[in-house]
Amino acid sequence: MSSLIRYSFVAALALGGVALFLLASSASSTATFGRHYPLLLAINGAIAAILLVFVVALVARLVRRFRARRFGARLMARFAIAFALMGVLPGALIYIVSVQFLSKSIESWFDVRVDRALESGLSIGRAALEAQLADMSAKARAIALDLAEVPESMQLTALDRAREGAGIQEAMLIGASGQLIGATGVRPADWVPELPSATDLQRARTQRQLALIEGDPLATDERASVRTRVVVAIPTLGGAAAGRSAGGDSGLAEATLLPRRAESRYLQMIQRLPAAVAANAAALQLGYRDYQELSLARTGLKQIYTMTLTLTLILAVFAAMAGGILLAGSLTAPLLQVAEGTKAVAEGNYRRVREFPGNDELNELTHSFNAMTRQLSEARDAVEARSRELENARAYLERVLANLSAGVIVLDRGWRLVTANHGAGRILGLPLAAAAGRPLAELAPEFAAQVDAAFADQTLATMPNESWQRQIDLAPAEGGEATSLLARGSHLPLDDGPGFVVVFDDITQVISGQRALAWGEVARRLAHEIKNPLTPIQLAAERLQMKLEPKLARDDAAVLTRGATTIVNQVAAMKRMVDDFRHYARVPPPQLAPVDLNAFIEEVASLYGAERAAAGDAPVRLELAPALPRIAGDATQLRQLIHNLLVNAKEAAQGSPSRQPRVTLRTEAVRAADGGVQAVRMVVEDNGPGFAANILRRAFEPYVTTKPAGTGLGLPIVKKIVDEHDARIELANLGAGGAAVTVIFRRLVDGAGVAAGAATPAPAH
Amino acid sequence: MLRAAVLLLDGAAPDASPIRRLFRAAVLAAGIWLVSPPAAAERIEVVSAELRTAAEGDGIELDASFDFDLPWTLEDAVNGGVPLYFVIEFELYRARWYWFDERRAGATLTYRLSYSPLTRQYRLSRGTLALPFETLGAALASLRRVSRWTVFERNALVPGSRHAAQLRMRLDSTQLPRPFQMGAVTGRDWTLASEWKNVPVGPELVR
Repeated sequence: MSSLIRYSFVAALALGGVALFLLASSASSTATFGRHYPLLLAINGAIAAILLVFVVALVARLVRRFRARRFGARLMARFAIAFALMGVLPGALIYIVSVQFLSKSIESWFDVRVDRALESGLSIGRAALEAQLADMSAKARAIALDLAEVPESMQLTALDRAREGAGIQEAMLIGASGQLIGATGVRPADWVPELPSATDLQRARTQRQLALIEGDPLATDERASVRTRVVVAIPTLGGAAAGRSAGGDSGLAEATLLPRRAESRYLQMIQRLPAAVAANAAALQLGYRDYQELSLARTGLKQIYTMTLTLTLILAVFAAMAGGILLAGSLTAPLLQVAEGTKAVAEGNYRRVREFPGNDELNELTHSFNAMTRQLSEARDAVEARSRELENARAYLERVLANLSAGVIVLDRGWRLVTANHGAGRILGLPLAAAAGRPLAELAPEFAAQVDAAFADQTLATMPNESWQRQIDLAPAEGGEATSLLARGSHLPLDDGPGFVVVFDDITQVISGQRALAWGEVARRLAHEIKNPLTPIQLAAERLQMKLEPKLARDDAAVLTRGATTIVNQVAAMKRMVDDFRHYARVPPPQLAPVDLNAFIEEVASLYGAERAAAGDAPVRLELAPALPRIAGDATQLRQLIHNLLVNAKEAAQGSPSRQPRVTLRTEAVRAADGGVQAVRMVVEDNGPGFAANILRRAFEPYVTTKPAGTGLGLPIVKKIVDEHDARIELANLGAGGAAVTVIFRRLVDGAGVAAGAATPAPAH
Repeated sequence: MLRAAVLLLDGAAPDASPIRRLFRAAVLAAGIWLVSPPAAAERIEVVSAELRTAAEGDGIELDASFDFDLPWTLEDAVNGGVPLYFVIEFELYRARWYWFDERRAGATLTYRLSYSPLTRQYRLSRGTLALPFETLGAALASLRRVSRWTVFERNALVPGSRHAAQLRMRLDSTQLPRPFQMGAVTGRDWTLASEWKNVPVGPELVR
């Protein structure tokens, strides 16, 4: 739209320029354009109208934008007004001056003195001609009188003589009816006798003479040149007298001499102006004509010039206005773009502004602005990317901290909690997540005291380490047990001063494991030391009995036998106990092989079924899940494990006489989220009294037993076997009474569990 | 139309500012200037026109008389020495029912009316022939009559056809000095012309 306006504007301007040029040249010159002046005027008017429409449209657009308070309209309006004024004012000034100048100068041509001078010139010319005429008339009359006295046949000769004497150029004798009788004088080559007309003769007759000034000074034809012509009648007697008296001259004396007779002949004399005079007369008349022409046309001329000037002004003004508005538009467009862009940048929008071609400063401005916004946006993107990275890193760190089993707490210098991770809350058994800002001493007094002491020790030490490490034992809560923590602390500069970070972990299980290991070592050594003398003791007792029994009295022999039997029995019991110890201490590394757990359990349980019939004790019920994957296990150790668990369960079941004792052995597959088998679970349940609370947590430690005859090594051995198989064991009391022991085998031979099993370092089968 | 334009412009916004009113006036003035018709021209009337066979030869002659008065502007011009050229034009057509009329002949006669202030003579020239007159009236009287003007040869007439002839007289404004030619522009009237007048072409001419 804008470019269309611009192009048509330029076209109209070019057209207007051409038309104006033609108009001006037609107004000022006599070229052929002069004929087309009205057409050119109309064309220029039409162009002016077109420009007017342009200007009106542009102004209307500007006003509309201004009213709508569109961005940049004010600047554009100011520019447009300035440009238009710059065009219009000088134009108007020049116009006014020109019009004034024009009318003044045109008027100045028509000076009264010039007018009068020309008139005077003409008068002088005429006076000269009239003087010549009067002179010629007198001469003609005199010659006519002379001729009247000459016989008609001699008249032509006499005329020639008289003409030469009078210095007249042409003279001719003309008959009464106007026919040429004879001519004499200086005549041009193609001379045609110029005969007086009938009216001329009539006038010559009635007025005695005809005196004329004839011709046109501007005529190119010599015959039409200015001349004086006199026609007089040649008197014959009375006629001459009549002529004289009528002429009023001095010839009264001769009038009576001549007979009165009708004139039969006329004398015509023609005197042309001398060439120099004729040329001057022509120049004079030409000048007079031109002057008159101009004088008559001056109003018109003024109007033409004024109209041309006015039209020029109108065109120039409209062009200036339209040009001003368009120029303002094109000048302000880059500025507006930049201004809008600045606004957008201030609002955080880094869009590009429209760039304008051309390499002036304003257009450069748009280019540099775009470069700037591009750099800004790149910088912002980089900053955003950086902060996102930082955010991610922090989130990752937080996630790691949150999922860390170890507890991490950060304290400020007033021992108030700054942050604590999930692990810390879990280990301390406190809801630390919502406790930020509270003193640690309030939350966990015992822990706080120990940490405080640790930090104090560190500062007191002669060579303070960067961090301290110590074990913190916490007293058992009611119903619970003592917890051991391994804590490490160090200084951590916080934003608002020094702070402390404490990392701790629950090492109760580790300690328990260490204890079990230590027990194993003790048991192995003890077993070795104890077992060695047992066989000699047994053999010595049997030998004593064998050697001394026959020699002793019946009573003494009975005593000996009893004593020896007691020794042998006790030694045997001790041996068994030592074996148990050894078993516990030296469970050999399992020889892993694929084991079908269900089949294995059925085989083992069948022994108990047989036993059951004999002893009438608790029945073992099997609930086996079908199609279980095989597990990697040592058959001997597994047998021991199942045996120990079943024995324990049966004993426990029989310990509650109120109910029918019952033992259940169940297997099931543990499935992962994707449906694959992850592990195999084996559960042994009984309906006995369940584990006592203090036993439950230490059931796997040796010599913890509730049974009167137990060694306390059943479950520790089970635990050991389970550990060797990389399985897990859990103890739980059932809600309805009774206990459940769950063993989860994670090392599977086939099925989906293979992958899971392979992930752990397992010896090859 | 102008009034409508005025109403349209005025009705557009009654609460117009002075600048707008001025602008509107300018538009109006430009409109009036552009649409104003030229002043009515002085007329020449063809009083009579008659064709007749020439006494000798095969020519057809025209007698015609015109009636007009010289406007004072032109009279001033003549008395100022400016020559005036009067053109009498004659056209002969043959009517054709199937097509445009065929132009068979045409003739133009140019008179030059001039005044010499030095000799105080009016001259009416027709070609090389020039007649002097003492007064403008006499010269004009001579100009108003045309007689025995051979306009075409007889063979221009097609026997059996209908013919039409027309005649007009006008002041040749192209021969006027340039400022006089722009009467329409300057508002002065220098134009002088007659309508085309039909001249009866009698059947007796076609022999």
